[in-house]
Amino acid sequence: MSEELRSLPKPYHEAVEHWARHNFPEYPELSKRWQQYFPKDAEFCLCARLEQGMPNTIQVGEKVGQPKAIAPKELDKEAAEQLLMILRAQASTEFGSIQQHHGTFERANDPQDQTWVLRVMAEELRHGYQMIHLLTSADWSSVTDTKPADMVEEILNMQTGSHVLAAFNLEYDSFGDSIVFAAFIDRVGKYQLTMQKVNAYAPMAASMPPMLREEAFHLAAGVIPMRRWMEAAAKDSNATMDVPTIQKMVGKWFPRGLEMFGDERGGQTNVKLGLKDMANREAQDRYIDECGKMIDDINVRYVRAKLAHLSREDADAAFERIAKGETVEGIRMDQLLRLPDRRFFRRRGEPAFQMIGFDGEGFTDVEEYMAHALAHLPEAYHASIDVKHWIEMQRKVAKGEIELKKAISSMPRLARVGGQCQCSKAVRWVMDVPEGASGGGEKLNP
Amino acid sequence: MADVVIRPVTELDIEAICKIDERITGTYRPDVWEDRVVYYIRRDPDSSQVAETGGKVVGFMLGEVRGGEFGLEEPTGWVEFFGVDPQAREKGVGRSLIEALLAGFKRKGAHVARTMVRDQDKEIDAFIRRNGFAPAPVTALEKRL
Repeated sequence: MSEELRSLPKPYHEAVEHWARHNFPEYPELSKRWQQYFPKDAEFCLCARLEQGMPNTIQVGEKVGQPKAIAPKELDKEAAEQLLMILRAQASTEFGSIQQHHGTFERANDPQDQTWVLRVMAEELRHGYQMIHLLTSADWSSVTDTKPADMVEEILNMQTGSHVLAAFNLEYDSFGDSIVFAAFIDRVGKYQLTMQKVNAYAPMAASMPPMLREEAFHLAAGVIPMRRWMEAAAKDSNATMDVPTIQKMVGKWFPRGLEMFGDERGGQTNVKLGLKDMANREAQDRYIDECGKMIDDINVRYVRAKLAHLSREDADAAFERIAKGETVEGIRMDQLLRLPDRRFFRRRGEPAFQMIGFDGEGFTDVEEYMAHALAHLPEAYHASIDVKHWIEMQRKVAKGEIELKKAISSMPRLARVGGQCQCSKAVRWVMDVPEGASGGGEKLNP
Repeated sequence: MADVVIRPVTELDIEAICKIDERITGTYRPDVWEDRVVYYIRRDPDSSQVAETGGKVVGFMLGEVRGGEFGLEEPTGWVEFFGVDPQAREKGVGRSLIEALLAGFKRKGAHVARTMVRDQDKEIDAFIRRNGFAPAPVTALEKRL
């Protein structure tokens, strides 16, 4: 394994740093905490990383065995267009998640959890930087009239509410959302990156392994605090994070995670074009299985804390009985975490706006359904514009007042406001530099 | 040999590792293993490995390449924690794990792997030697405090 490190050309590099000053003011804190929380780990580098020694022939799709493209113009037009869309969406998610984490960062009640999230945010910044590298280091003019600087501008202008995917348009209600988001939404990120390791565009494929290595920590930064919350909840009836609270966060994020895979019926084109190695439903099925395993593990931690007098084997047997519906020493399955049905609270994809309850039960009355769904969502989230919009759409769909397709593509009127830098009269993040004063863009390692 | 699948450790292996450790030591230590696993995941998630048979994790081996410790400047693959479920032993699980770990160390530029074994851990000592390790020209020293 070796990586080539690259910096962006100076105007883009500075645009990302400028963006961070406004949207990620916690960033400088990372270097101050690094040695305490990540001693001897390699220092964080805001740069693009490209894995060396990746396969140079197409691995999936109609052109298996042919050389991978090293420039967008070498891709079929359809593949290049699709890839450009993926890149913009991916970039949007990276910068979007930082904006979300920032909203509740100061409200963390555990310094380690907070510092882990801080590192996650910095690595998301690097992932966004990586996507900008892919957008600006090649000529995309064969598929878009938009100049690279304008593509970067568009990405950096996005705010919570105007991002490409719904999961990145939700405000966090508490720092707890940072944790559950890392466990559920970053997990989707892992799937997308893994699927794109085969990408027919060689620089995209080479971008994936370094991002995946960082993503592995992001998942741990979600799962480990959740495990510890559950143990605390088992031991302390006044724990700050009790099981119903955590459960409602799962209800908030899991459906959005499922939608990030795209419509269950789609994704074959990406496979055909050699951009990903799985269609949407297959990837989503695997994600659901993995989330189920995660929830089981977290629940075991709870059961072990509650039934600390039992041996490992007896505790495992007790958990199996609980999972089958029995009550064991006062513990029932509905006191543990559960994954909602994959069709619950969906607004995109095959089950969008179907009135399917948490456990897969069907509803015919829209008001009853909404009351049921709200009871499974965090109270603080009820007051969000996102929920308000969902209620409006759900009612309209149920009454036939809006076409399903329109409801699916509808977004809440969130922050499509001010994109430009707030600190000056500048209206762009990417600033022109005098000729000869540009720089950067160089290879950073030998 | 049983059908052993070796793959990099993930955060979802922590509970299985706790279980193996508990079967060996008799103690459930989730905090300890969470801290250890996250250490390796954040530094090099490809390096440490678990072994699965029938879809269940039955062994783990945690380690990484580091250099500069104890005056040993060359990049060294350190084998630091490992365990195999007592019910899955004698099936080649440990050997598959260490082969995968050593191959990974080599890919990362290490030309030597090192570990330490307590004198009383005869079984571990025998396992390590069977896999090509020999006494190193270093001395482990300690002082009780």
